[in-house]
Amino acid sequence: GDLVLRPPNLRLVLAAMALFLAPFSYLAFVHYPLAADLRRSILICGAISLGGFFVVLRLIPVAARYLLRRGMFGKDINKKGLPMGEITVPESLGIVVGIVYLVIAILFQHFNFTADSIWLVEYNAALASVCFMILLGFIDDVLDIPWRVKLLLPTIAALPLLMAYAGGTSIIIPKPLASYVGVEVLELGWMYKLFMLLLAVFCTNSINIHAGLNGLEVGQTVVISAAVLIHNVMRIGSSKDLETQQAHAFSIYLVLPFLTTSLALLGFNWYPSSVFVGDTYTYFAGMTLAVVGILGHFSETLLLFFLPQVLNFLCSVPQLFHFVPCPRHRLPRFDTQTGLLTGTKDGNLVNIFLRLFGKCSEKSLCIRLLIFQGCVMPILLLAEIHAYWMVQMMITRNTTSRQFP
Amino acid sequence: MILLGFIDDVLDIPWRVKLLLPTIAALPLLMAYAGGTSIIIPKPLASYVGVEVLELGWMYKLFMLLLAVFCTNSINIHAGLNGLEVGQTVVISAAVLIHNVMRIGSSKDLETQQAHAFSIYLVLPFLTTSLALLGFNWYPSSVFVGDTYTYFAGMTLAVVGILGHFSETLLLFFLPQVLNFLCSVPQLFHFVPCPRHRLPRFDTQTGLLTGTKDGNLVNIFLRLFGKCSEKSLCIRLLIFQAVSCLFCFWLRYMLTGWYK
Repeated sequence: GDLVLRPPNLRLVLAAMALFLAPFSYLAFVHYPLAADLRRSILICGAISLGGFFVVLRLIPVAARYLLRRGMFGKDINKKGLPMGEITVPESLGIVVGIVYLVIAILFQHFNFTADSIWLVEYNAALASVCFMILLGFIDDVLDIPWRVKLLLPTIAALPLLMAYAGGTSIIIPKPLASYVGVEVLELGWMYKLFMLLLAVFCTNSINIHAGLNGLEVGQTVVISAAVLIHNVMRIGSSKDLETQQAHAFSIYLVLPFLTTSLALLGFNWYPSSVFVGDTYTYFAGMTLAVVGILGHFSETLLLFFLPQVLNFLCSVPQLFHFVPCPRHRLPRFDTQTGLLTGTKDGNLVNIFLRLFGKCSEKSLCIRLLIFQGCVMPILLLAEIHAYWMVQMMITRNTTSRQFP
Repeated sequence: MILLGFIDDVLDIPWRVKLLLPTIAALPLLMAYAGGTSIIIPKPLASYVGVEVLELGWMYKLFMLLLAVFCTNSINIHAGLNGLEVGQTVVISAAVLIHNVMRIGSSKDLETQQAHAFSIYLVLPFLTTSLALLGFNWYPSSVFVGDTYTYFAGMTLAVVGILGHFSETLLLFFLPQVLNFLCSVPQLFHFVPCPRHRLPRFDTQTGLLTGTKDGNLVNIFLRLFGKCSEKSLCIRLLIFQAVSCLFCFWLRYMLTGWYK
């Protein structure tokens, strides 16, 4: 078929960029008194990332033509029966985002003057894992790898990270539980590395299965990334520990270009999708987020941001493990007359939302799910702030009570 | 490079962009390279140049980039016979490994030893995995290797040449590829007509290949030494590769002391 490429939805993505980057920029450059070095690095990273946004916008139409010509396309199942359901939509456009992202991230090293050799090793190991994941994800899109092997791909891609990880493998037990566990700091050793691996496998596959609506894959990733950035800058601003600040800065440098390049893809992938993102994108996205969660030392918070993905995974377990019949696509039923989707009995958020809140259009459903993704964040951030203050209060209460036996 | 090579195989990227791919793939190397950017002038020339050690700065990084672009593309165009791409790579890799261990054994400088050990660690797995591929790709080929392999091979060799600090020696091992490139220049730059595949003519009756007027070693060997079967031609070219490497070892041995 021929390539049908609508102009990108620039209003949406520029609005999204402003929405997501405004609070981040405010916190980084106005609210918190960050070091001048750090601000400069973030500014340079932001500038390169913005450049990447425009490069991806330019390259997607080019790549789409090549991908379509070589047979990498799909039909939009949620429009089956309509003329739009007959269009051949190019797939795997995540490859464009991946490559532009890698080039930006590689070049950024040159501008981080505070980098020492340890930082360089961690940074390049992170990029190696992301690059490996993009390669394996693209191979999956091309060769259609059976799902049992698919689960293994993130394990392989995470190897550079595991090999290079030189950070601590201990976790801090929350104070209320410390008395039960016996220690305040628990040394996990190899179990920590196993956790890192499982996190990579989870992040990649959970984004992959929370999909099927135009714009859902990129949309959820963009929301999580924005949350990660805000979390990073908040931790830098409120922490006095240099290592913590560096870890979160590290995360910012990797997530900022990821956010902007993903937004460019969203311009073409938002409803109605002109391009599909492919496993290339979902695996790349999951790995990037897992990598920053691990190397930024905030993996528990990352999992909280992944709450919808966790819920979706838990609901999907019966079908994924074949306790219950599992169709090829666990998508809702599309009514060509009304243009609305109706929920099936499948165990994923897409259908559960339809069964809970009634049938609606694909675009509305996607927006509802993205709002759900976005809603958990303020709640969690508030809980984090609250927990932080609770801990602080406990510290002062303990010290004061010890002063007066 | 593997990623970009595979994308090229899948999407069939136009050749002008193809030339750029190794440039992009070499970026991490350029960014992370923290070694010296000076070269040692050969003693006989030192009096003409004026200094013994010439600091090149950014030009050294440019050289690294060009080496990556050259190694990848030169292997890519010295191809077309069953087993030629993997075969030439295997021969060069073996030469590199022997060179590495010889330099480690004969050098007292710890940095030099570490650099060549680094190269061994990267080339040894490359050699064995390539040999496994050769098992299926040798005449008659059950599988083809694709640009994925030739680009991956070129980049691996360029990387060890750069980080092992023996890039001049590497270029000597690439002598057949250099000659092939030079002969190909008129066609590559369209001074002379350039067909899609610059392959010999195959005679179904005799099963032999006859050389065309194309400017690459495959056809030049056929024109020089007469028509022969595909397998024999490949073996002849690989012997040429091995002999070139031996010649380079001999050259280095002869020039030691006099050269550096």
